Amino acid sequence: MYPGVWTTYILILFFSWLLVLSVFGCTPGTAWTVVNLFHFAITYHFFHWKKGTPFADDQGMYNGLTWWEQMDNGKQLTRNRKFLIVVPVVLYLIALHTTDYQQPMLFLNTLAVSVLVVAKLPNMHKVRIFGINAEN
Amino acid sequence: MVRLPYSTALTTLFSYGLLFAFGHLRDFFRRIIDSRKPTTNLKDYAPICLGHEDFYTRRLFNRVQDCCNRPIASAPDAWIDVIERYSNDGNKTIHRTSKTSRCLNLGSYNYLGFAAADEYCTPRVIESLKKYSASTCSVRVDGGNTKLHIELEELVARFVGKPAAILLGMGYATNSTIIPALIGKGGLIISDSLNHNSIVNGARGSGAAVRVFQHNNIAHLEEVLREQIAQGQPRTHRPWNKIIVIVEGIYSMEGELCKLPEVISVCKKYKAYTYLDEAHSIGAIGKSGRGVCDLLGVDPADVDIMMGTFTKSFGSCGGYIAASKEIIHHLKQTCPAHIYATSMSPPAVQQVISAIKVILGEDGTNRGAKKLAQIRENSNFFRSELKKMGFEVLGDNDSPVMPIMLYNPAKIPSFSRECLRLNVAAVVVAFPATPLLLSRARICISASHTREDLIKGLEVLSKAGDVSGIKYFPVEQEKTTAVEKLKKIQ
Repeated sequence: MYPGVWTTYILILFFSWLLVLSVFGCTPGTAWTVVNLFHFAITYHFFHWKKGTPFADDQGMYNGLTWWEQMDNGKQLTRNRKFLIVVPVVLYLIALHTTDYQQPMLFLNTLAVSVLVVAKLPNMHKVRIFGINAEN
Repeated sequence: MVRLPYSTALTTLFSYGLLFAFGHLRDFFRRIIDSRKPTTNLKDYAPICLGHEDFYTRRLFNRVQDCCNRPIASAPDAWIDVIERYSNDGNKTIHRTSKTSRCLNLGSYNYLGFAAADEYCTPRVIESLKKYSASTCSVRVDGGNTKLHIELEELVARFVGKPAAILLGMGYATNSTIIPALIGKGGLIISDSLNHNSIVNGARGSGAAVRVFQHNNIAHLEEVLREQIAQGQPRTHRPWNKIIVIVEGIYSMEGELCKLPEVISVCKKYKAYTYLDEAHSIGAIGKSGRGVCDLLGVDPADVDIMMGTFTKSFGSCGGYIAASKEIIHHLKQTCPAHIYATSMSPPAVQQVISAIKVILGEDGTNRGAKKLAQIRENSNFFRSELKKMGFEVLGDNDSPVMPIMLYNPAKIPSFSRECLRLNVAAVVVAFPATPLLLSRARICISASHTREDLIKGLEVLSKAGDVSGIKYFPVEQEKTTAVEKLKKIQ
């Protein structure tokens, strides 16, 4: 709906990779792994853990839904959702490629991408495994 | 789809992201620090705000709180006394001082200058206050129907060009209580996507189905109408009882006029009723001040229901509906705001009567015609000068409302505070009244602004615009602006 959201997302990822490279002075592969893991932590927390909205006006109508479930009014497989599923996968491929498929980066990256992609599947809409995060 | 330059969209999204990130960071540390403090006595009480409901208010809105709800100490004329305030803790609490600063008022809906004392209206209002007292203390159907109310209803009907009218005590309540009285379950309301909250509220409260068409897009309106008429009611597919299309005269956040002739022709073709909300346009535009029908050359008989408020151009309070005698008769028996709410205060009624008489010229002078010409001239002058300076100004010509686009969330308080520092009171609007990326400063021009006031306003806006960096368009160099022309003469 708003222009430039996807581009801003990709630019933030790219600039955070540059930031990690300049701060830690590590190899590009390690930097991509670090970006991937931080991306996993932040997007998991905001998309699949936090529930409700930052506005009190809707009187708690969405208090049981995570932000991923609220996106596009609950419609599955819209363009936005497909884009957001593809981004972790592309990050995963870039991280693996630049680290030459070595352990332990391989394991951590695979864990991150599998959790993220599974959480975004349409079958997981409103599913709470073992009742984790089920209370409002 | 919202329209704005791509690079501006990127920077604005980035700014909101940054504000969001900082807000969460502060919340995180606040939670750590507060977990060390002893818990309060409110042990078994439920929290007022669950979780992060108030995140927007606490972390985004409170930062710029001093730009909103500024208290004033005089009537909202062309110049206004704004009470100075200060804050010691970053806008969490704001304290008033006893000093006021005299500012140019570019924020009040004072289109014809009736907001302050007027030589014709005010003596008559004071007289009616002495005669009828400040409130009727009763509903219209009970003991609150005075001679003034009947006179005003006839006068409003004559002014707008319809056979009859009904008065209500509050402009917002007019929309939100009349629409449920006109249409109910089994009906369809098609409203413009940028309609005011009162219309949205009334439409939701009526029980009818509501569909939205893209703002001022007549092709989309026709598409929605055709689809809905073909489909009928949801699930049963029976034909709709009635279809009402609701549009506004001037959209207050855009300053645009609605394409009324096209809307009327589409509605006639598909036999839908039209409801025109002239809150901002009645009294302010048109050759004789009769609103958007006057300006665009539409016969008032073609619009089924015309609604308006007295708060903007007439300097009073309350609203009206003007329609055919049968509709008004029905509304007087079914509208809850007429039957259960206190009637309009008699001095307020007298103010509207006097204001309409001035506009029509029935007070014996031509002040009304002069005011109408003045506001048109002022609006066109101001808008063209702002555009020459490079601001992005929305709205059509002849409309006294002109929003200046700000976009970036940081420019909102910067522009507002800089204007106040230079003694201009301007109003800024952001999310949720406007879309997230399209925050703006809204200027409302009045007939009581003189040419010098406008030139001073332009200078201040130009300086504040330079500080905030909102001159998105190139400055026109070929012709000098009026400011420079005046400086050359002096």
